[in-house]
Amino acid sequence: MKKLLLICVLISFMSCDKSDTIVEYEAIPIDFTIPSNFPALQYNLDNNPLTEAGFELGKQLFYEGKLSANNSIPCAFCHEQAFAFTHHGHTLSHGVNGGIGLRNAQPIQNLAYQSEFMWDGAATHLDLQPIIPLTSELEMDETLSNVIEKLKADEIYQDAFARAFEDGKINSENMLKALSQFMIVMVSSNSKYDKYVRQEENVQLSQIETDGLNFFENKCASCHATDLFTDQSYRNNGLPVNPMLDDKGRFNIFENQDDLYKFKVPSLRNIEKTYPYMHDGRLSTLEAVLDFYDAGAVDNGNVDPILLRADGSYGISLTAYEKESIIAFLKTLTDNEFLQDERFSEY
Amino acid sequence: MKISKIALVLMLSISIISCSSDDDNNTEDLTGQKGQLVLKFDNGVGDQDFIFGTSYNKSNGESYKLDQLKYIISNVSLLDSEGNTFEYPTEDNVFLVDEANGNNAGEIWITLDNVDAADYTSISFGVGIDQERYLRGADGQGDFLQIAQDAGMLWSWATGFRFVRLDGVFSSDTVTDQALNIHMGSVGTSLDNYREVTLPFPNSVLVRPSMTPEVHVKTDIATIFDGPTPVNFMDGYDQVHTDPIETPIIANNMMEMFEVHHVHNN
Repeated sequence: MKKLLLICVLISFMSCDKSDTIVEYEAIPIDFTIPSNFPALQYNLDNNPLTEAGFELGKQLFYEGKLSANNSIPCAFCHEQAFAFTHHGHTLSHGVNGGIGLRNAQPIQNLAYQSEFMWDGAATHLDLQPIIPLTSELEMDETLSNVIEKLKADEIYQDAFARAFEDGKINSENMLKALSQFMIVMVSSNSKYDKYVRQEENVQLSQIETDGLNFFENKCASCHATDLFTDQSYRNNGLPVNPMLDDKGRFNIFENQDDLYKFKVPSLRNIEKTYPYMHDGRLSTLEAVLDFYDAGAVDNGNVDPILLRADGSYGISLTAYEKESIIAFLKTLTDNEFLQDERFSEY
Repeated sequence: MKISKIALVLMLSISIISCSSDDDNNTEDLTGQKGQLVLKFDNGVGDQDFIFGTSYNKSNGESYKLDQLKYIISNVSLLDSEGNTFEYPTEDNVFLVDEANGNNAGEIWITLDNVDAADYTSISFGVGIDQERYLRGADGQGDFLQIAQDAGMLWSWATGFRFVRLDGVFSSDTVTDQALNIHMGSVGTSLDNYREVTLPFPNSVLVRPSMTPEVHVKTDIATIFDGPTPVNFMDGYDQVHTDPIETPIIANNMMEMFEVHHVHNN
């Protein structure tokens, strides 16, 4: 009897000890609702259920320099919140050792509603997208196993992975899942336009914004479709080819001539903040973008037929007032709640 | 008379032995029992063992030498004599076969653990990664993404695995030692180069808690170029990456390169 008591006491001591030092999986789910004006979710959350700890780990990794070769270029380096997670005015992304990437950093928002990523659709799953910048010599220049080794050596991550995942393992699967959780929660759906279409808080568009919306629907919405403002297709919009970069766009994926100079139709959410524009950031203002569509497109051999005008030229004819009002409308897509959301902020 | 007595005894004993062994088979209850199975991948070219840097001839007079030879095997399943299929657990069911990791005999061993005890008659596996696994993203990959990347089997310019990677040089009657690179996989959902093969076992593979059979899978690398659709390096098959015409031809040829040469029931 005494022996039994002793054993019991020992066990209880041991278990106390354990709970003091071992961090355990915390499956506190994140409430994730799809905005009523959004299309269907593309990401399968059953494979990666959102939890508070998973999201927090993803955020920590997003701001973690160790994901790069010189330990100083986190994802956030090119994806800054105030600019809807783009690279504050840079035409092309910068990376380790002064490397300069080949394309303009795209915003990180509403990605769970898309099935392909990057300007050319090179990433076909959100989980796997981070591998591209992480391994690019011009961006983070790292390898998955090296990053995993660095994280394994860090006590903060030992605990964070243990909290975030049932198996608690620090491996590429869990690292990428955490990053996805962070990105999935990054939803921009509370712009003035959103509140207007959802008829919330009595939000009304001004006359010029309404005119802009009407012009937009007639002249832009066949490609910038749905309330994501992209039909997620790849198109050649007649942008003159920059011979310095000679970026062939989607052609690089399948080496298919039909894909020459095609790039993914970008979302226009927070477009006011994500300047400069186009895949190489060559246009710095929205005025320049609309002037390009009006009179700057060239026949580079594979321009989208949707842009062919009656006179045989390519473009979208726009009057001065159409341009002015479309820009006024585009600014209603700025979502300050998202741009200032502390859940996504580094500090 | 004596002879016939002996013969009778012999016949009786044979029938008893065969009866009893039949009985054994029928009554052997393997439910819940597990064992291991070893797959030995042994790359060859025709009737030669594959060796890095050795020149091999193609049917059209071209020749090639390789310094990298790797491919991904996944979705291994086994069919037993009763018609049941044993699927290896999905999360662990993806393997890199890298010639550089071979033992002295050039064999790359894959050990399957916790296989249901049974008498297996054939094996099926996929070459590459199927669309279902791609659709799950990082889910279920464990550390395979790291392993694949370290082996150069993960693209960096796009997300996806190289299902097969052959690097080396080729020569024809007009060129000598030109670069030869076959780096191909599926591209998104629109170009699916995953293929499944089923190979019969020459005799039953007996998995038991006390028996770890070894299945010797031989490949004929020449089939990749000289298979059902022979291809010429000089026609562009010296660089095969994402081309929607070239890659399925290589994938289909590759399907035919495997055979189970023999089985050891240890």
